[in-house]
Amino acid sequence: MNPHTIWISCGVVRAEMEELHRRGLIDGELLFLDSMLHMDPPQLETRLTATLEQQKAGNGCLVMVYGDCSAHMLDLVRRFHVGRVSAINCAQLLVGRERYRQLMREEAFLVLPEWASRWEQIMKDELGLNKATAHDLMGENRGVLVYLDTGLASVPEQQLQEFSTYTGLPWRVEAVSLDTMLAALMSARTEALKEESA
Amino acid sequence: MKPHEWSEQLLDAMINADRSGAAELIGNALANGIEPQQVIAEVLDPAIVRLGHLWEKETMSLAQNFVASKIAEDTLLRCVPDKTDSLCTKGAIVLGNIEDDFHSLGRKAVGLFLSAAGWDVYDLGNDVPAEELLEKAIEVNACAIGASAMMQTTALNIRKLRQLIDERGLTDRIKLAVGGAVFNWRPELVSEVGGDGTANNAVGADELFMRLQAEVMNRQGTP
Repeated sequence: MNPHTIWISCGVVRAEMEELHRRGLIDGELLFLDSMLHMDPPQLETRLTATLEQQKAGNGCLVMVYGDCSAHMLDLVRRFHVGRVSAINCAQLLVGRERYRQLMREEAFLVLPEWASRWEQIMKDELGLNKATAHDLMGENRGVLVYLDTGLASVPEQQLQEFSTYTGLPWRVEAVSLDTMLAALMSARTEALKEESA
Repeated sequence: MKPHEWSEQLLDAMINADRSGAAELIGNALANGIEPQQVIAEVLDPAIVRLGHLWEKETMSLAQNFVASKIAEDTLLRCVPDKTDSLCTKGAIVLGNIEDDFHSLGRKAVGLFLSAAGWDVYDLGNDVPAEELLEKAIEVNACAIGASAMMQTTALNIRKLRQLIDERGLTDRIKLAVGGAVFNWRPELVSEVGGDGTANNAVGADELFMRLQAEVMNRQGTP
């Protein structure tokens, strides 16, 4: 019998994880850390390490739902013998490697639903970007804002329009099914089980 | 105002994400008769080195570093001499972010510094397969490839490039420089991916590539 699975996930995909759990497509326990920890990678590592230490003491099979969000993600996987989704970031987790590459070639700036509600806080408070600087920087490095619509909340059109005005980039919506993310979760869980039995 | 004072002010502008302020500052330095190369060497370089120290001490956020990199790029673009002004070059080098890596800021800054230092830089951009980097290096007779990666997992993709260089018998002819934030945090990663060297920031890139070129020349017996 497989052990209880504990998904240690970034809060940026909380709604998606909870929906998969609600549908019975993933089982076990869901733990979330604040997505804003991404703004402070060392702090993210500290919190993740503490969580892994605490959870490792139990009998659960641990899976990290995190991309390459700090410098030592792979070290955490090796140290605690846990599974981790094979994605460089949460956007790639949702759309898959090939679609992510296409979007990057298009110079898309990918907006996740949870992130969309915080754009102003992140751009202005965390990044310290005023409108002129944001306009320049985004315009030089990105071509379009793409909202990844996982269908779990209504598209925040007003916020996207405001973000578009702030950055000077056009925006569009791309519908994303949860199938790609689910496949990555299942694969990571299989890896975690292998680690458990090794 | 002396160059180190300009540099102090530039660092402040970088930390405060004040891009227009930085641009004005550099404009004033040039207007005050400081030569463009002196701006690079005595204003920009020290600011970037100090920025690197702040970054290593984790007193800077990723975002501040992002904006600071753009300010450095702006400054270089204003101060780098026109390519056509150069009578000779140091040689060819190929740059690119390795497959699956899309963090281009560091690579672009390195490219600008190397161009300013007199190298013929072939920048292949983001998400470049190892095969493509090597083929380009062979085509342009580059002495080194600079492979960039921001994060740990993408840095490991550089191992394939190391393998290809060795398999083709080019170990002594084409050196592999590696760079990106993760190599500063984890210096042991340089040898883990098979790198021949790294630099902590764009300022040190010229010295690194000069060393790698010298190694190639020594192995080939070129005077």
